Amino acid sequence: MLLDNVAMGRRAEPPPHVVKQAIHWLLRLRNNHGNPRLNRQCEQWRAEHHQHELAWQRVQSLQAELSSNLRAVPGAQVAFNTLENSAQGLSRRQALKLLSGALLMGSAAWLAKDSGAWQQWSADYATATGEQRGFQLPDGTRIELNTASAVDLHYTAQQRLIKLTRGEIIVSCGGSDEGAPFDRPLRVQSRHGMYAPIGARFILRQDDDCSRLTVTSGRVAIVSGGHSLEAVAGQSYRIDHLQIRPVPTPDMDAGAWVDGLIVTRNMRLGDFLRELGRYRHGALNCAAEVADLRLSGVFRLEDTDKLLALLPQTLPVQLRYRTRWWVSVERAV
Amino acid sequence: MRLIIICDVRAVAFMSSPEFAVQTLYRCHHGWLNTWLRARLGNAADAADLAQDTFVRLLQRSERLELKAPRAFLRTIARGLVIDHWRREEIERAYLETIAHLPEAETPGSEARALIIELLESIARMLEGLKPKVRQAFLLAQCEGLTHKQIAGQMGLSLRSVERYVAEALYHCYVLRYAH
Repeated sequence: MLLDNVAMGRRAEPPPHVVKQAIHWLLRLRNNHGNPRLNRQCEQWRAEHHQHELAWQRVQSLQAELSSNLRAVPGAQVAFNTLENSAQGLSRRQALKLLSGALLMGSAAWLAKDSGAWQQWSADYATATGEQRGFQLPDGTRIELNTASAVDLHYTAQQRLIKLTRGEIIVSCGGSDEGAPFDRPLRVQSRHGMYAPIGARFILRQDDDCSRLTVTSGRVAIVSGGHSLEAVAGQSYRIDHLQIRPVPTPDMDAGAWVDGLIVTRNMRLGDFLRELGRYRHGALNCAAEVADLRLSGVFRLEDTDKLLALLPQTLPVQLRYRTRWWVSVERAV
Repeated sequence: MRLIIICDVRAVAFMSSPEFAVQTLYRCHHGWLNTWLRARLGNAADAADLAQDTFVRLLQRSERLELKAPRAFLRTIARGLVIDHWRREEIERAYLETIAHLPEAETPGSEARALIIELLESIARMLEGLKPKVRQAFLLAQCEGLTHKQIAGQMGLSLRSVERYVAEALYHCYVLRYAH
């Protein structure tokens, strides 16, 4: 079910008992993994009221975020031991230097009440299919969004965070680190990992099952799924929740799209068409019998129909347009 | 971090603006706040940083400032920042201690280490205020992927308590994230 954020304004905030029910469902499902009857009952509960669904979505994404953050930390039990040890240390210090009694909390609770401070530096950017746009951020960082991409920016006194929520971006670190709140280190996040650029320019792409990172200058530290490493200029990595794997010889120039190009080296036709499909509306199919043909070259993205029309000149294929938005590439007869 | 003091005679509007209120607060109470912080932190440099930080936070606030009890107000913000500062130090210390036992090949590089410390810090911030047992049960479920039954066995608790604790921790995080 898709959430309609506008329709669910502040009035529709789920009351505490609904949030607690959502948590109850989440834990029950986790403890009875794959029980179809329970799944159905939970879906029923979610459908009963839009507040149920909203609470469910939030609880689930919160849980997913916490657990992926915790599991990103390399080393067995390192996260648990560090958090437990530091919590004890912190309460010892608080007890020693007693801060006048009251419930001892950091600034998080205080800040949470003040949404203005967050929104001040938060913004969301998105592109449509086939669209590409660049943005200059207030700290001098530049980001380019490829087709069908979206980022959330969280620039506060505590952090500079660029969150890639969909698609692909190029991040070029700005030269200036002067002045609050820009002296905080820049962090970039995708669904599959956290990245710390060090004077870098890099391309980050998020697919369903993995993220891909290619560094063109500087260095980028990667932390994901219990692993960490530092990527340097010229390197490409594939990152999922389990591992960070180098991509030794990519079949495509990762950042060529910013110049409106696809540059391929011995790329499978099937992969090439899937890539091209990101820039077009509708369906672009590739017949299995030609999917393994190889393709090298420099192609312009501005008119993908024109680009497709070039294929039969170099490969033994033909195009079949069922409609303007339904194209198949098949073996030439 | 530096606070910019605006010296501009133009603005009558400025006199009633939040920036002016912060400037007044700064002039009257900065020295006192500095002393208060130094007593907690035992360190002049950190105290000066956090004093500046306190005023920067004020500048970022959108609502009107509560000026009836300015020192109590400043102290509330500064106290939160002191705890943030200590938490950061404690996480860093605990993390370095924990990874000291790892073989060198498995030790993350310095930038990755900074990232990991930030991740842990953000989690610690969310879990703050939970009772130790609640926190432990929750972390065992999240980091180690233990079932509630295993956690009950390991912590010597009933299954029902573990379930209640894990739910309580999630609810706590929810409120911190979404409550306005």
